[in-house]
Formats: sequence, C-alpha cells, structure tokens
Amino acid sequence: MTLAFLNLTWPTFANGLALGGVYALMAVGIGLVFGVLRLVNFAYGQLIMAGAFALAYGSQWGFPNWASILFCFGVVLGLSVLMDWLVFRPLRTHSPAVMLVATFAVAFLLQSIALLAFGPLGKSAGELAILNAPWDIGGVFIKKIAVISFVTAVGCLVILQLLLTRTPLGLHMRAAAMDFRTARLLGVRANWVISGAVIVSGLFAAVSAVMLSVTELTVVPAFGTQDTILVLAGVVLGGLNRPIPATLGGFAIGFANGVLGGVLPSNQSQYLPSFLFAAVIIVLLVRPNGLFARGGGAVERV
Amino acid sequence: MTALAVEKLTVRYGAVEAVRDLSLEVKPGEIVGLIGPNGAGKSSTLHAIMGAAPVTGGDVRLDGRSLVGRRPEDVARRGIALVPEGRRIFGELTVEENLRLGLAGRRRGSNGGGLERAYELFPVLREFRSRQAGVLSGGQQQQLAIGRALAAHPGVLLLDEPSLGLAPKIVDVVFEALAQIRDSGLGVLLVEQRAQRTVALADRSHVLANGELRLTLGPDDAGDTDRLVAAYLA
Amino acid sequence: MSWIRRAPELLVPAALILGTALLGLEVSSYLQAYFLDTLVKVAIVVALYVFIGNSGVLSFGHVSFVAVGAWTAGVLTVPEGQKRITMPGLAHFLLTTNVGNVASLALAAVIGGIFAFAVGLPLMRLSGLAAGIATFGVLEITNNVLTYEQRIGPGLNAFSSVPSTTGIWQAAIGGVICVAVAYVYQRTRFSRMLRATREDPAAAAAAGISIYRQRLLAFTLSGALAGFAGGLYVHLQPLQAGGLSLDLTFITLAMLVVGGSGSLLGAVVGALALNGLFSFFSAATNTVDVFGWSLTVPSGTAELALGALMAVVLILRPSGLTGGRELSLPRRRAVVDLEKARVTT
Repeated sequence: MTLAFLNLTWPTFANGLALGGVYALMAVGIGLVFGVLRLVNFAYGQLIMAGAFALAYGSQWGFPNWASILFCFGVVLGLSVLMDWLVFRPLRTHSPAVMLVATFAVAFLLQSIALLAFGPLGKSAGELAILNAPWDIGGVFIKKIAVISFVTAVGCLVILQLLLTRTPLGLHMRAAAMDFRTARLLGVRANWVISGAVIVSGLFAAVSAVMLSVTELTVVPAFGTQDTILVLAGVVLGGLNRPIPATLGGFAIGFANGVLGGVLPSNQSQYLPSFLFAAVIIVLLVRPNGLFARGGGAVERV
Repeated sequence: MTALAVEKLTVRYGAVEAVRDLSLEVKPGEIVGLIGPNGAGKSSTLHAIMGAAPVTGGDVRLDGRSLVGRRPEDVARRGIALVPEGRRIFGELTVEENLRLGLAGRRRGSNGGGLERAYELFPVLREFRSRQAGVLSGGQQQQLAIGRALAAHPGVLLLDEPSLGLAPKIVDVVFEALAQIRDSGLGVLLVEQRAQRTVALADRSHVLANGELRLTLGPDDAGDTDRLVAAYLA
Repeated sequence: MSWIRRAPELLVPAALILGTALLGLEVSSYLQAYFLDTLVKVAIVVALYVFIGNSGVLSFGHVSFVAVGAWTAGVLTVPEGQKRITMPGLAHFLLTTNVGNVASLALAAVIGGIFAFAVGLPLMRLSGLAAGIATFGVLEITNNVLTYEQRIGPGLNAFSSVPSTTGIWQAAIGGVICVAVAYVYQRTRFSRMLRATREDPAAAAAAGISIYRQRLLAFTLSGALAGFAGGLYVHLQPLQAGGLSLDLTFITLAMLVVGGSGSLLGAVVGALALNGLFSFFSAATNTVDVFGWSLTVPSGTAELALGALMAVVLILRPSGLTGGRELSLPRRRAVVDLEKARVTT
C-alpha cells in the first residue's frame, strides 16, 4: 500500500475528489427520500441512467449542450415524480422489506425497458466529453470535469443546506424525517414535503448524470448501477438515518473508488470493488448502524 | 372565536370500539376536562378530532363545519392545535425551530400568534431559544409543546395528559398557563389522569370510562372523591 | 397426527415439480431447455426460501453460494485433458482431481454450506438494511473474485465441456430433494424458533432463543442447498461468472416474493409460474405458436414482463400469490380467534 501512496498524483487526487463529490450528491438524493418516506430507492441508478440517455439523445439530435442538459433534467424529474406517484406512495404503509424489494423490482423493470428500447450496446455519451480535456494548473494537468464536478457538488450541497435550515419547507422536511406523524399533527403538509424531497432528489440525480456521463464514453442500460450500489454501501456505512454522515459516507466511498482506481496497478485494480465492499462489511460488523450513528433509532424489521 | 362540537362520536380500531357515542362541546374561553381510567378512550377522542383515528360514527364540527375525513394537517390548519401525549418535541431541532414548526398550523390569512406569544407565556423558552430542544427538562419540554401549539394561533387547544411525568410544582406552572390561555379566549379540551386538579381547574369535566361518557362534573365536585371513584369504576 | 395433516406441505410442491418434469418430457427438445432451466431455478428459490422465508431477513448474497457450488461441481467434472486447455491457470489440485456426477453435486452442496457458514459467522449478527448491504457485498466480492481468479475456475470465460448430466430427471429429483430438505427443516423446532424471531425479535430473545444461532443454521443450510442447485445448474448449461450475479439475484428474489416468501409452496409456485412466464417470452423472441396464433416479441420482453409483474404484485398483494400460507388439510376442531385489542387512553 505504501507504493500506492507514492503513486498518488494530483490528477488522481482530483479525480477522487470529483467522484467523491458526485457520490455525495447521490448519497443525499437517496438519503432525502429515505428520510421522509423511509424507503431506499434502489432505482436511483436508473434515474441517472435515464438522464445519461437523455444527454446522449440530445447530442445525437443536434441539441446545443445547454438544451441537452435541460432535456436531461426534464426526463429525470419527470421519471422521479412518476416513480413517486406509481410506486412510493402506494407502498408507504408496507414493511421496509417490501419497499426494498419493490424498488429493486422497479430498478430491474427500468433496466429491462432500457435494454428493449436502446439495445445492450448503448449510445455514445455526446459532446460534453470535451470536458474531459485537462486544464493546465501550474504544470499539473487536471481534468476540467474533475474540478467542475467537485465545485458543482459542493455548490449543490451548500444550496441544499441553506434550503433545509433557512426555509420553512426545509424545516418541515427535517421534522418529517424525524417524526412524520407529529409533524402532520402540527400542520406540516405531507404531500408537499414528500414532493419536495422527490424533486430535490431528482435534481441531484440529473446533476450526477451529467457529471458521470462526461467520464464514461458510452451510456448503457447498466449505467449508474455499480455507482448506486457503492453509494448505497457508503450511505449505510455513514449511517442511513443521519444526513451528514450519510453524505460523508458517500463521499468517502467515491473518493476511495476514484483514488484507488487511479493508483492501483491494473492487476490489483480489478479487485477494487472487493476491497471496497470488504471494508464496508467490516465497518458494518463493528457499527451496524453506521460509523456515526447514535444508539437510538427504531430497529428495522427486514 | 371558535367552538368545537363533538356529536355521538364513535371510534373503532378493527373490532375494538375505543369511543362510543360521545358528545361534548368546547366553547371559546372555557376549559373542558376529559378524565377517566387508562384505556377509556380519551386519547382516541383527541386523535379522532385531529383526523388521526378511524371515526366510524358521529361527527366532529368546528364552527359548524365537519372535520371528519380530513387529513391531520388540514384539521390543524383550521385552527385546532394538539399538544400530544409525551410531548413529542423534536429533540434535534432548536427550541426556536420547534416553535417555528408550530407556525405550520396557522390558518390561511391569519397574522396573529407567532413565537412571541409562546415566549411571553413561558419565559424559559426565550432563554433557551437557540439550544437543542433535547436538553430541556420534562417540564420545560411540556412548556415548549404548548408554546408550539399556540404558535399556530389556534381557536381550540387540545392537550393529551400534559402533567404526565412532571413534578407537582411544574404541574402548577402548566395549569396556571392553561388558565391564562383560557382567559385569552381560546377553548381548551384537557385530557388528564390527575382527576382532582383537572376537575378543580376546568369549567366542566367529563368522565370517560370504557369509551362512554359516564358523568359530568363541575369545579365544586372537586372535593367529592366518592363520586369520582364511583364514576371511574362504573 | 400433525405429520399427516401437514404432509401436503411437502407433497404438493413435490407433485408440482414432478408434474412439470413430466410435461417437460413431452415437449420438443427445444422447449425442454426451458423446462430444465425452470426446474433448476426452483431449487435455487427453495434454497432462498429456507433462509429468507424463515428468518425474515433479506439476503442478496445467496447467488454467490450458487456460484461457488457451480464452480466446485464444474471444475471437478471437466475432463482433465480439457482442463489443461481451457483453464490452464487452475491450481494443481483442481487440475488433477476429477469426480463423478453425484459426487460433484454432493461436494457442491458441502462447499456451498461451508462458504455460507464462513460468511454467516460474522454476518448473522446484522439485521435489516445492514444485512442487505453486507450480503450484497458478499455477492459482489464473490463475483469479482470468480471473474478474475484463474486458479479456481474459468475466470472471465464460460465453463465449457462440463458433462451435461442435468436432464429432466436429475433436475426434478434435485428439486424434490431441496423441497424435502426444506420441509424437514421446517418441521424441526429450530425453524420454529427462527420464525418466532421473525415475528417478534424482542419476545423471542426474551424467551431465550438465540437469534444469531438460528439464523446461522438456516443460512448454512440454505447455502448448502444453493450450492447444490449451482451444481445442477453447471451440469445444464455453460455458466459464466457474469450470469451468476445481480440479474440472477433479482430474478430468484422476484420469484420468491411473488410466490409468497412465507411458505415453501410460495417458493415453488413462484419459481414455476415466473420462470414459465419468463421462458415463454424468451421463446417468443423466436416466434412461438400459441393455440395456432403466431407470436413474436422483441428480445428483452421477458425481463420486462418479469419486472412489471413483480412490481404489480408487490404493490397490490405484498404477501405474494400464496399469501405466505402452505396448503394443509383442514383441522377438525375450530380454533377460537383472539382479537388483538389496542390499548388506548
């Protein structure tokens, strides 16, 4: 491992930060919906996949970049809201196990639809790939997208934090995540809170789709699945019920994935997913509720 | 202001009838007590008014308009505020944030209420306004819960066993506040286990046992323990 | 007495399996492949049920036991000469050892069970989401290792030259064995203790039931059954590491949930019905005759139908097609139902 650290260059470090940033956004997206609906959305990766396909089609149809991005946002938000109406809300009263498997089903369903519609080979990611080109920062070449991703992620998180702490809706969302029943008795509108969480979650998915599709050359139906699984692991690692640790957990896994991917020689980097998951499992064994969880919290019956 | 009328209310959970044919009324400027043994249906009555319990018969009306079938948040926005059993404050939010949450229940177009009312009634809240609500003592949390309900500027205040777990001195503070709230024109429906204090404070008290209204007492009956016991055991 | 009354719990699923097998013998060899695939899937889903159905804990990792069983049976039955050509990186011991068909299945079960035990030792302390993620991790790690490690198997390539010993009868008998093992376990007090922890963990623990030990037992047993199913599978078609991962996990989990995760009958019904549907649509990509009508669907329809069906069933009837109930002969005496009363103030 010492060798690995000697291999750590600025570009790799930057890539780690960037991937960490994107994973942090995804972690928040998943965490927000979990907070108000108590539902882990396995199909989050499919939202990102849909957004990436929208970008690809946009560029294929000759849209200017900003229009493609707008199209991507539209598709992802629309799909999020649809998922909420058709799947999340009818399932709200069921056990966590049922909801988990149901979102698993939706994920699979969407992936099959994508396979049917787009074929397994996928489409080229489009013109935003020019952002893969590096900036020359004091003699070190850092990919433009790395900087943009990190800055965008931080920006989004800051805006979200402001929303949550300075606005009434944000306060209502936080309260609903702690005790939905009492919040409603105080007059907090359940539907608005849920819709708010779904929309912000969708927005973050769209941003993640844009960032990820720059570094991936092709968009396939499985786009975003592996990332979602890693983010989910990171979120559970940090502590699903605690928003800040969950975000940090997502960031940590993204950072580790990005850095180790660039630093390990290829015969070791094949096993990178194994290392990451082994680390996750070990942490979960010691702290099942996450690294930063406090003792309390309802026991889930799954 | 507003009058709350409960008419022949029946609340049923599955096969169990928690409340049967209950009728009572709360007018502005009065405290109505609801006492009785455990399992009598007192909490269920409050939850039914708020739309959080299954009403299978009868009606609940606020100013003549029926509340049955409405969502809890809609009932709250019509001017009824509930102080839940066990207080149920949000420990991780600050005192001020807890009070702001109460603002969610404000009626459309209402500019009254707000946090000042709560701070006036319970000065300790102003002192702790930026601290996390979880550090407050039981009595202080109860004051916060009431303050939060008042922030919505309601016409009717429902309280579910506010004296539960509190030291007698604190109960004095709380009951004194309730008297002030009544005097300011609100209607108060007070569910309690401490029968004597409630009967002494309220303008009238209903005794509920096994889901049914057994007896109605006035403040003068506060000393008549025989009657109380008989009503509980009937 | 209850043995007789409860016998249908075993006999009905077994009969369904044998019925499917007999049907499979009557159809063309082209369609028979789907029947074989279905029968092996039944074995996998029953293995899943033994753990998930009894413990109420979701495991996403069982397909890794299927994979390990498949690897074991496959590597030990490919003729040595073939092994030197197609899997030159194999460890010496594996290269030179060869066993017969039945032995390979037995070893697959044993290795699957040992692996499950090793995984379960640390993991069975977890519940809920943590257990889900951890078992997911096991799936990913196993898949990762089997894909790249040339010393224990074909790595990226598909298994080739494994003797195709899983015909209708091997598949059917294998399925019945799994059902029988599940039934016997279900009748033991161990499974009853485990089911108690599913209903009310706190009460069960208070009654002295070791949640950890019972879960570990069920996990190991289901791991052995999964390994066994993997052995059946590798003798049926050339398996690849990629095919023994998330997709198979989803499909088998879907079958269990749709059939009804609470009962053995549910596991079998779910597997037969869903894989039947899946096979039908897969076959229809090459045109199929339905009562004289010709039907062709684009490829990928099968997965779509499966996903849609699973989502619909979960939303409308979460306890599955069988509602989590077994079929048993009705009792003679009526049982008084105690109604649950809620405590209110």
